[in-house]
Amino acid sequence: MRTSTQSIERGNVLLCVLCTILVVSVIGGNVLLNCMTRYNVASSQVRSWKESLDAAETGGDIAYAETRKTILDPTHAFSGWTYSGGVYNNSPVTYGQDSLSTSAKVDLFYYDANGNPWYRIRTKGTAPVNGLKRVGMDDRMGPNTRGDSLLRKIDFNYDHFVASYGPNGDGLNKALVPVSQPQVTRRVELIAAPITPFEAAIKAGGTFYGLGSAAYVDSYRSTVGAYDASVKTNPSDPRYVDSRSGTVEINSSVATIMGNIYGNVYTNGGTVTKNTSSISGIIDNNVPFSLPPYYMPSTSSWSYVSNPSTVGGNTTINPPAAGTPQSPNYYLITSYSTNGNLTVNPYSSNGTPQETYVAVRVNGNVGSSTGQGASITIANNVHLEVYFDGNFGAKAQNIVNNSGFAGNLQFYGLSPTDPNVQQTIDLNSGGGSSAGFAAVFYAPSANFTINGGPDISGAIVCKNFYVNGNVHWHYDRELDKAGDAVDYRLISYVEDIR
Amino acid sequence: MKLKSSQTVAGFTLSEMLVSVSLSSIILAAAITSGVSLQKSFSAVDNYFTTHMQQIRIIDYLNRDVKRGLIVTTSVDLQTVTMSVPKYVIQTGDPEAIANPDLVGTPRTPTVAYTSSGWQINYSPSTTTVVYSISGSSILRTENGVVTTIASSTDQLVPTTTDVELANTEYSNTSVTFMPIFTSSGSVASRSGTNLYATAYLRNKRRG
Repeated sequence: MRTSTQSIERGNVLLCVLCTILVVSVIGGNVLLNCMTRYNVASSQVRSWKESLDAAETGGDIAYAETRKTILDPTHAFSGWTYSGGVYNNSPVTYGQDSLSTSAKVDLFYYDANGNPWYRIRTKGTAPVNGLKRVGMDDRMGPNTRGDSLLRKIDFNYDHFVASYGPNGDGLNKALVPVSQPQVTRRVELIAAPITPFEAAIKAGGTFYGLGSAAYVDSYRSTVGAYDASVKTNPSDPRYVDSRSGTVEINSSVATIMGNIYGNVYTNGGTVTKNTSSISGIIDNNVPFSLPPYYMPSTSSWSYVSNPSTVGGNTTINPPAAGTPQSPNYYLITSYSTNGNLTVNPYSSNGTPQETYVAVRVNGNVGSSTGQGASITIANNVHLEVYFDGNFGAKAQNIVNNSGFAGNLQFYGLSPTDPNVQQTIDLNSGGGSSAGFAAVFYAPSANFTINGGPDISGAIVCKNFYVNGNVHWHYDRELDKAGDAVDYRLISYVEDIR
Repeated sequence: MKLKSSQTVAGFTLSEMLVSVSLSSIILAAAITSGVSLQKSFSAVDNYFTTHMQQIRIIDYLNRDVKRGLIVTTSVDLQTVTMSVPKYVIQTGDPEAIANPDLVGTPRTPTVAYTSSGWQINYSPSTTTVVYSISGSSILRTENGVVTTIASSTDQLVPTTTDVELANTEYSNTSVTFMPIFTSSGSVASRSGTNLYATAYLRNKRRG
């Protein structure tokens, strides 16, 4: 009977093999379990969490582009969006290999003193969490601590945000909304603020030449006090902090800079070096920018006044109402004679002048670069905007702004539709007169020239800049919030982390 | 009947027993040693990746707050980060909530203000202060006094953050390292080999 002995020996071997397989399998399974947990977190959950923010910010970019169109391409702004209750909404946009989804809401939440609208952009981005519905997260830090689940809010079966806070996050209309697959949604809120045109003393999209050797550009703040030429060299004066912001920005490498610049100088590939004390601020030769053409803004909310319709000889505007920045008194001038003299008075109520807002659109030229040129006078309390699509010619001393605040007299050069037409602005002081003016010019397509040495309070945005006289140019820092919006920028970002 | 013969075959000599026991002991010792080593290696690798995930978590937490921050400052040793973030949501105890408890949990409408440094968007007169710091083996996030442990490891997790201030913005460079348990203690290379870097820019204009 040797058979039984042999069977027992084979059984021992089999048992050993099974035990070995079991041990190896347990170890292998444990390794696989941990690997899958890590892989699931790293490859799916973390990735989705990051991609959902990418999607939300993409939605912000889409909405921001539409906001910019309100200035640069008004007829196509928010085209295809729905408008309800003061809010623009777009349909969810899906993009990318991982089918990211984003949507946005845009509402106008504020008007500034210039009548420029500010927009709030609220977007959400959603990224799917691929793979099975694994509720396990990598939370293992300690017995009473949680990790990822506090940071990454994953919707496995229901949208937790809508369920807890409502679709707008305001606690209203809470609902259990099932999700088709696990996903992560993140929400951001952006604020698009208008860019006003006069953020620098001189901004030239093309070449720059000037000023005279005895000229200078400095700054002050009109709300702190009247301009005082001694402040910029007196550090103990409390107004000194506002005296050295006479910044010059040039979007080309052609920058012949003379005189004293009490501010910064920026060029696009220029060779300006700070080898003298003529520039008080920093020099950066790598600051490109673009000046898009400027077109007539929408006048739909403006109050049209039919008379006068021409400026020939002495012409006076007495507005019938005070108007507002959003709805000024609007005059359409079909011709402005070469020596035309325009005076604008404020609207008075019971004999008291009111802050009065006036916009004048001139078809063609304003004045002439030869002879007397145009004369323009505004009284105190008048806020005048002049839009012209031709050339502008005047003697500096014939631009009279009795308020002294440059922001009250704004000139806008509308870009020619024919690219072969070169718009010009010539301010000839004539005989070296030091009399000047307080006004601002925004004419990104115009070549700007000053002969003589007028004393100017204001700012200029132009194409090519040429000044050969000893101009004293004072930039009022209050101008950086004056004027019509020329573009938008995002100035605030906040994420709703709930 | 050959039983007698079978019993003779089944026996072992003393020499055979000694050899077999010796060999068995060696094999068993090798197996136990291998098993223990395997377990240690598994534990070390598991610990490594657990800590690595915590590195990612620290970076993600920090960068989320930096992006929405208004100002970021770091301590001299670069291991404590303090930042101000907008108070976007009305919370219990806020003035609006005291006046109207129904407003708790609702987002604020922003307000616009002009300051000497330009336009500002404010969600509340005050801001929320968030501090990241190290306490023992834990990384803490403190928001208005409420402490949350966002990472905890015996592998000596050390985050360091440098904030770089530019003309009107700011960014932070963060690196997080740890000391893997299966390397020789004190080795610089073993710590530097775990370095995880990240850079985050403030989306808001820097204040202060």
